[in-house]
Amino acid sequence: MMQDTDFTTATRVRQNGSARALLRRFFRWEASGILIALAILFAALALATDNFLSAYNMSVVARQAAFVGLVALGQTLVLLVGGIDLSVGAAAGLSAIVGSIALTQWGLNPFLIIPFTMGFGFALGALNGMLVAGLRLNPFIVTLATWEIFAGMTLVITQGYPIRPLGAPFTWFGQGDLLGVPLPVAIFALVALVLVWVLAQTRFGRNIFAVGGNRDAAVLAGIRVRRVEFLAYGLAGMLAALAGILYASRMDAGQPSVGEGWLMGAITAAILGGTSLRGGQGSIVGTVLGALLLAVLANGTVLMNVSGFWQRVIVGGVVLVAVLVDLLRRRD
Amino acid sequence: MSEAPPLIDARHISKTFGAVHALTDVSITLAPGEVHSVIGENGAGKSTLMGILCGRIRPTQGTLLVNGAEVHFHSPQDAQAHGIAIAPQEINLVPHLTVAENILLGAHRGSAAHIDWKATLAEATRHLHEVDDGVDPRARVSQLSRAQQQLVQIARAAATRARVIIFDEPTATLTYRETDKLMGYIRRMTAEGRSAFYISHRLDEVRELSHRITALRDGAPVGCIGPEEASRERMVTMMAGRPARPNIAAPRDLSTRPPVLEVRNLTREHEFQDISFTLRKGEILGLSGLIGSGRTELAKCIFGLTRAQSGKVLLDGEETRFRSPLDAIGSGLAYLPEERKAEGIFPLLSIAENTALPSLDRFTGALRMRNREMLDEVGKLARQLKAKFSSLGDPISSLSGGNQQKFIIARWLMREARVLIMDEPTRGIDVNAKQEIQSVLRRLTDERGLSIVLISSEMEELFDVADRILVMHEGRVKGVKNRSEATQEGLLELAMS
Repeated sequence: MMQDTDFTTATRVRQNGSARALLRRFFRWEASGILIALAILFAALALATDNFLSAYNMSVVARQAAFVGLVALGQTLVLLVGGIDLSVGAAAGLSAIVGSIALTQWGLNPFLIIPFTMGFGFALGALNGMLVAGLRLNPFIVTLATWEIFAGMTLVITQGYPIRPLGAPFTWFGQGDLLGVPLPVAIFALVALVLVWVLAQTRFGRNIFAVGGNRDAAVLAGIRVRRVEFLAYGLAGMLAALAGILYASRMDAGQPSVGEGWLMGAITAAILGGTSLRGGQGSIVGTVLGALLLAVLANGTVLMNVSGFWQRVIVGGVVLVAVLVDLLRRRD
Repeated sequence: MSEAPPLIDARHISKTFGAVHALTDVSITLAPGEVHSVIGENGAGKSTLMGILCGRIRPTQGTLLVNGAEVHFHSPQDAQAHGIAIAPQEINLVPHLTVAENILLGAHRGSAAHIDWKATLAEATRHLHEVDDGVDPRARVSQLSRAQQQLVQIARAAATRARVIIFDEPTATLTYRETDKLMGYIRRMTAEGRSAFYISHRLDEVRELSHRITALRDGAPVGCIGPEEASRERMVTMMAGRPARPNIAAPRDLSTRPPVLEVRNLTREHEFQDISFTLRKGEILGLSGLIGSGRTELAKCIFGLTRAQSGKVLLDGEETRFRSPLDAIGSGLAYLPEERKAEGIFPLLSIAENTALPSLDRFTGALRMRNREMLDEVGKLARQLKAKFSSLGDPISSLSGGNQQKFIIARWLMREARVLIMDEPTRGIDVNAKQEIQSVLRRLTDERGLSIVLISSEMEELFDVADRILVMHEGRVKGVKNRSEATQEGLLELAMS
């Protein structure tokens, strides 16, 4: 069972390993609902369309999931510590621009651009972290403000014009593939795996759940609460920047519009995956599935020739259904 | 009293939640002017029964008569319309509104278009001061202590002018002064012909106040007795189904033991002044005092949560400067907070993790947590503390309060803490679990040389387990007494002097 909220899982399965107990445990898992929904959607689209399961279409879906998914992974960390980061989309955009400028104007080595941009993104997130964790300001307000600041800075720097071309070899990161898997997808998978490990097996990871689950108790238990919160925001900025620069690399251009619309996708993916807005509950696997579901939905509407305008209506409806299902699951 | 028709007559009430039988065939009556107490261990069904009487829960079976007429409550509003109000155990006030507004919430004086604030304040003040005149009706609820909030909640129930008020653990957070006032209020109220259901773990209060006492065990009534037959032993036997064990620990002479924690002239303005005391190795030092005496504030300051303006804290003879709880924990100190739910446990995390969180550094391997080792160690401590659980992977919120507290103690034993500062460690925990925790504390001091500062509002608890009792009042130390020379009256006098 893939679950990263509870490291005693393995023992429990051993204790009551019957099929029924496993099934009950599966439904208690906060991402069980989305896994079922995703499976149904997959089956339906495979039956209803000819080319949904084609290798090309699958890579389109996966790539689409990868960009928003990376941002959603960072958002998940912030939500887990009981915060929220509204600035992730704008941070992705600003980082992509700064990274593009570093490549084209400052002549930074193309292979150092991604680490450089991630560092820059971490700094943006760290600003949020200092204000929220250090000064105990409300994360909603702080990140609403930094969202505006980051988005505005992007326009100030670019004057609204894209920075292009970025050129090879840098475009390889966004356009190339590794053993048939698009590179952004491979990077997304790698980051998700690392985070699953961090949350389940490291002190920092376990402390994230403690801080989000009960901050006051965490302070009294001697956990460095502020450091945990600060790092969560920093990592969210860093992962947003990674998504932004990969997107620029794919587009061969640092466009001022990079990251627009990613915020809603990131929060939606996390929530669909069972992450609680109150903190302390959620999982990386759930968020990955959430991002996949959003990408499949978007792809499905295109394949089914549904007007693109309907897509947002459908996504909103899915979120409401997910919340209702979750409510029923809790009542159980 | 017996001729009048009962104000409340609940007949053969049963309630099931899924497969769980919370109440089985409970019948209970309440006469005008009567205080009827309901006692029982946690989970015995007291709160469910009261929930049914106040319209919050609907019974699965049984009938409810008010003044001889059958009623069906669909909401607490229905019950209030029949003159039944509850002062619940959990605080549910609006923190950012004033005390007065909370008392008359939804019942402001004036017209729909215009609130008469003066009349509202006056009316609220009157109800508040009937219960306790020590609370400012203009203060915001968020600024009040937990005990004061409890009093406001009681005043809110009183303000409905209900003929029946249900008191659900009203004194759990109160000290003796406030408890006395509340007792006075209940007596005045019953003298007027109004009645009360009274739920409490404090058996002395129950005996003193009640006309009748009903005990519940596992959702079923065990018996109904008058106060004259309600000895402590009798009540505990009824609740637990077995006689209580005497729990008074033998006195120990620890005056030759080395001091572990020394507090010297510690002062923090508006909280406490010039506090000095010494805690010796293996000693339990009781800290007694009224609400607002600065006990909790002192504990938090020693633990590094707040900073003192002057004075010092010595650990093993060396001066400490704790800038955060982290520093204090690093030196072997631990603080177990009064609000176990709000500040003690991580409700979403497993029992094992709740216990091991501060000690995770000991179990980090190169790539993985060494969970097996951690579980073994938590399990070992659980056995030592006689904690009951089905699996260490279950969420801690599935345990009873007493068992939760044991795992929080285990948390700090795992971290090798040498000094525990425990703030009301047995509050809201039923009699037998309380005694178990108390004997655990004694055993830990004997076997591990653990030193404990035990903050408690319950004199009985301090007399049972503490070696010495320190009395605080209005932020000052009024005196320290060996338990063997202390009397309850003597300590009260000391506190008031």
